[in-house]
Amino acid sequence: MTDITALPGGKSPWQSAARFGLYTLLLIFAAYYILPLIVVLSTSMKDLDEIRNGTLLSLPAEINFDAWGYAWNEACIGVSCTGLKPYFWNSVAMTIPAVTISTLLGALTGFSLTKFKFKGANLIFAMILFGCFIPFQVVLLPMAQSLGFLGVANTVPGLVLVHIVYGLPFTVLFFRNYYVNIPDDLIKAATIDGAGFFMIFWRIMLPLSPPIIVVTVIWQFTQIWNDFLFGASFTTGGGQPVTVALNNLVNTTTGVKQYNVDMAAALITAAPTLAVYVLAGRYFVRGLTAGSVKG
Amino acid sequence: MASLSIQNVKKSYGSVEVLKGIDLDLENGEFLVLLGPSGCGKSTLLNMIAGLDTITDGEILIDQTVVNDVHPKDRDIAMVFQSYALYPNMSVARNIGFGLEMRKVTKEERERRVDEAARMLQIDHLSDRKPAQLSGGQRQRVAMGRALVRDPEIFLFDEPLSNLDAKLRVEMRTEIKKLHQRLGTTMVYVTHDQIEAMTLASRIAILKEGEVQQFASPQEVYEKPANMYVAGFVGSPPMNFVPAAVVSENGKLGVSIERTANGSRGSVFLALPEDRQDISEWVGRDVILGIRPETLTHCSDSEMSLNNRLQAFDCQVEVLEPTGADTLTYIELGGREVIARVNPYNTTEPGETMAFMVDMGKASLFDPKTELRI
Ligand SMILES: Nc1ncnc2c1ncn2[C@@H]1O[C@H](COP(=O)(O)OP(=O)(O)O)[C@@H](O)[C@H]1O
Ligand SMILES: [Mg+2]
Repeated sequence: MTDITALPGGKSPWQSAARFGLYTLLLIFAAYYILPLIVVLSTSMKDLDEIRNGTLLSLPAEINFDAWGYAWNEACIGVSCTGLKPYFWNSVAMTIPAVTISTLLGALTGFSLTKFKFKGANLIFAMILFGCFIPFQVVLLPMAQSLGFLGVANTVPGLVLVHIVYGLPFTVLFFRNYYVNIPDDLIKAATIDGAGFFMIFWRIMLPLSPPIIVVTVIWQFTQIWNDFLFGASFTTGGGQPVTVALNNLVNTTTGVKQYNVDMAAALITAAPTLAVYVLAGRYFVRGLTAGSVKG
Repeated sequence: MASLSIQNVKKSYGSVEVLKGIDLDLENGEFLVLLGPSGCGKSTLLNMIAGLDTITDGEILIDQTVVNDVHPKDRDIAMVFQSYALYPNMSVARNIGFGLEMRKVTKEERERRVDEAARMLQIDHLSDRKPAQLSGGQRQRVAMGRALVRDPEIFLFDEPLSNLDAKLRVEMRTEIKKLHQRLGTTMVYVTHDQIEAMTLASRIAILKEGEVQQFASPQEVYEKPANMYVAGFVGSPPMNFVPAAVVSENGKLGVSIERTANGSRGSVFLALPEDRQDISEWVGRDVILGIRPETLTHCSDSEMSLNNRLQAFDCQVEVLEPTGADTLTYIELGGREVIARVNPYNTTEPGETMAFMVDMGKASLFDPKTELRI
């Protein structure tokens, strides 16, 4: 890409001044957004004395991860003092299958809706799309009943099911809109070549899908990992996801308020979503189909 | 090799009738070209032969067997798409071999046949590349290789050359022709380019709005177009259409045409040859005379004396367009612009009058109302 600032004749004093102003503004905004994170991070590394005596913005005198260890292993969530650890693994056990299955089902549905068009495919898509606009709160009661009926209430598999169902409209939307742009001729050619529905899906569509898979996985992972309402509504005690446990940890008041532990716990809870962005973000835009169609 | 028979095939999308009863019969090893403007239903018909689309009514037979309900993969056909439709994630070799892989051909056999096809198309050095790393012409060859390797009963081509530049298009056209001569396989080829149709076809079917206008050999389509639509579609520059009246003069039937010569307007009589004297019921009525530009040229007495089908007349020249080999000479006949192909050394300056001769043996007559050939 051309660097438009490096074009000849693009360096008048006015433009430099405007640029300076622009960067200053951007820096202010960046600081505004990053400051809470810095405060949380630095507080999590202080000990309680330092928190009480220092200011909010002061940096820790020495880096110490005691509060992190405590939050992970020992902090009391309600009456059980196990730390966040078991709940974190609950979240992992919930998020990984829920993301995988909802993404796969979204891809399959998107594929059938675009490339194996049946009568009423567009109507069905419209109805699935409708699911994107149903607020969490509306499905709480019926979902609770269904979970009870299926015998998976208050379990991690129950939460997996909830998140798959709730996530499907979004994953279908993503994949349908991506697959709509893949030329039908590819499917025709593969059909003549003798490939069936699943073979075409597996050998042709999925290899073309990494960009949209990444988008969907990031979206679903963030949604499911960060979910609080479903977790709080459908689980109690040991089956809770880490977001609910974090809330309970912060609200458990025995003795002094341990701000450093609260902060460390918050960061532990947020870490996986951050990691997903950092690791997968760069695969976001990738024109894999480039060159498949026109000469 | 296989014969192909299309019997009263119709296709509707909702209330829109795209194909209105197509009848075509192909022998083993023929090269059928479906020719027509964009949107006339060529691809639809080809997709139905392939089995990629259902037929609303009628039957399609491959080797005397009705295949209406046979899955595309079991029809033993191979298709080359206008967009090439190469699998972007697979290498060239993988692309070519995919059909064999799906048919569970062993790896050794597959490699041998892919290699053979790639060599035949001179793309064997590209085996490991992905489609995105190929030029348009190379992609086209890979698409052909994918069809070739399967050794099908029938090849289907949907405008395979329309994404190539002019020079490559001519080259590939010749290669497809060679391929057909070498393999002798039945081919169905869709195009909107009349030159491709003329050069490749053993028979052409000209489609317009879902109906076959004419189904005949290229020569017959060219010389005896079934109607004015076909006459105007095939040939470049296209056939001239001249309003004329059928008259009888000195016991011979012919046409009378208005034109301007030496500054005055008047009509000339052009006699029809012996074998076209059977149109007495048209005497006194208006017709359209169709003349190909190359059958209308400067008058030569020596040729006139050898061929009594040639008829002479004089007419004022309007515009000259030299093309090198010939000069396209524009004149006005019966109120219509008409192009004559004249040797560059026999032209006359615009505004002056020149003697022409027309080969009435190669002229066509059309009914102005139905536009059908008389
Ligand atoms: N799936 C479809 N639904 C509705 N109309 C269609 C469909 N496919 C093709 N058509 C219509 O059928 C006509 C013929 O299309 P096509 O066979 O692609 O034309 P061609 O290949 O000759 O350019 C066009 O008018 C097109 O709009
Ligand atoms: Mg077409």
